[in-house]
Amino acid sequence: MFGSLDISTSALVAQRTRLEAISANLANAESVADADGNYAPFRRRIPMFAPGDPSTGRAEGVHVSQIALDDSPFRAKHEPGHRFADADGYVFYPNIDPAMEMVNALEASRAYEANITAAEATKTMLQASLRLLA
Amino acid sequence: MIAGLFDNGALPVLERLLQFTSHRHSMLTDNIANLSTPYFKSKDLSPRSFQNALGEAIDERRRRPNPTNGPLPLDNTGQIEFRRDGLVVRGEAMNDGILFHDENNRDLERIMQRLAENTMAHTGSIEMIRNQFDMLRTAIRERP
Repeated sequence: MFGSLDISTSALVAQRTRLEAISANLANAESVADADGNYAPFRRRIPMFAPGDPSTGRAEGVHVSQIALDDSPFRAKHEPGHRFADADGYVFYPNIDPAMEMVNALEASRAYEANITAAEATKTMLQASLRLLA
Repeated sequence: MIAGLFDNGALPVLERLLQFTSHRHSMLTDNIANLSTPYFKSKDLSPRSFQNALGEAIDERRRRPNPTNGPLPLDNTGQIEFRRDGLVVRGEAMNDGILFHDENNRDLERIMQRLAENTMAHTGSIEMIRNQFDMLRTAIRERP
């Protein structure tokens, strides 16, 4: 019974990680340079979920197995005056679509809420069981 | 003596129901946790087959000379093995209704409905166990 809380918590952690990845994607939607100022458009990060929870070693639960990079092509913008423009005057911007990120963020926060509800249900059941002893 | 006290009346039935709802609850929680996991198939225990097994056991107990006493003779179902100290369950993955490209058959409304039903069954049976305990306590104290 106490294990059910572990399951819900693992999902809360995973969904929060997903939301963090989405926030990073949105924040870097226009980042064309890396931290050192070299030309390196930001690649979209994709959190990958897999069943099971390594932190408790149980088969139930969920965890982020890896943060993958999106290999789809960058957005090309014609900006001949830009210092990173190529020979044809194009600058490549990150392959991030804000609409898609927002939809994913919505899904992640709904899933987060569903897990909160499940954890609340677990707590109700546990409290009822524990009151038997009193 | 003590054994006669606790396998009396509805207590064994309620105990089995509690064991069932706790196992089902952790299965439903797992389904909710994996709402966005690709290739995940939700698992569940069938309340119907559990209730059938429970109903048959209660009928069999009633046919005995002393119908409200004694343990409950439960037959294992395909998903549940009834042990003396608890249940061993094997949830069945449901492969129906795959609607998503990630091959996850998530159905949030159904899962939440099952979770609510299961929680209510659990708290209900706890309430009933409580009443039985209160009655025992009253009988022991010999005053209300």
